[in-house]
Amino acid sequence: MFEAIKGRRSVRKYKTEPVDREIVKKLLDAARWAPSGGNIQPWLFIVIDDPKVLDVIRKISPGYFGEAPLAILVCSNKERAYKVGGALGRDYLTVADCAMAVQNMLLAAYALGLGTCVVKSFSHTAIKEVLAIPEGIEPELLVIVGHPNQTSRPPPRIPMNEIVHLNKYGEKFPGLEG
Amino acid sequence: MSNKSDGNDYLFEIAVFLATSARNCIDEPPLYGPFRLLDALSKIADLPKYAPCLKDDPFLQEIKAFADEKKFLVMYGAEEFKKALDEIVEMFAKELKKRYLEKQKETG
Ligand SMILES: Cc1cc2nc3c(=O)[nH]c(=O)nc-3n(C[C@H](O)[C@H](O)[C@H](O)COP(=O)(O)O)c2cc1C
Repeated sequence: MFEAIKGRRSVRKYKTEPVDREIVKKLLDAARWAPSGGNIQPWLFIVIDDPKVLDVIRKISPGYFGEAPLAILVCSNKERAYKVGGALGRDYLTVADCAMAVQNMLLAAYALGLGTCVVKSFSHTAIKEVLAIPEGIEPELLVIVGHPNQTSRPPPRIPMNEIVHLNKYGEKFPGLEG
Repeated sequence: MSNKSDGNDYLFEIAVFLATSARNCIDEPPLYGPFRLLDALSKIADLPKYAPCLKDDPFLQEIKAFADEKKFLVMYGAEEFKKALDEIVEMFAKELKKRYLEKQKETG
């Protein structure tokens, strides 16, 4: 598990080889087992593997790099979230919940030898139009998936001792690396 | 996968990229503006591949390769990214001199 957490990278170059639908099912199953506030499970997933649709999605997504053969758009059902979770559910929990589902998917894909990249830089307006997404359903994150054709050095992380506090804000947690 | 059958398709693709980037840049981290412009430069450098009326430009291809190698430095910190942009501008300045000033000197 720790190897996957640290070894996963955002992949921006892919081989053209498609991703098997059985594998796609595994990724989606991993996603839906994520925790969610009040167990609302506000997510829904639009799987895009038609090359023509994928090409249009790539064109309207400045943050989509490489020609990944699969993309999964994680959306939240704002109506359902509001009914069950009120304004907090609709405005905050949905975003956190979908992020949890996405991280499960990223780690599952890594375990299956696949590369992924989370993409938020897509056009919200255009993606709703192109994929015929109705009112009340909001695109949250696009996850692109494929067989990686690249290894990249990990972007740096902020040192532990700058982000961790012990028992009280500002108190150092002893022994953390600088 | 990509369906860029001719120059017009490619031009359209660049136009969509610019429009969606312009909108997204309003809400995105400030460094993403320069990042998208650099990516646009990389795309524009490929225009001669799709529009036969344009001559291939080896200098722009060199710039494209450099830009593609360096653009993701934006994820590694502003300083490295800024340094790469400075290097690109420097390359253009040298090329400008070569194309427009040194040539003139020879002929004039
Ligand atoms: C919410 C979110 C949105 C992101 N959006 C994009 C994106 O649009 N395009 C992209 O190439 N990477 C995107 N990324 C990937 C980040 O750039 C990447 O996670 C970060 O630089 C750390 O690199 P790593 O994932 O290799 O550890 C996004 C990541 C997250 C979590």
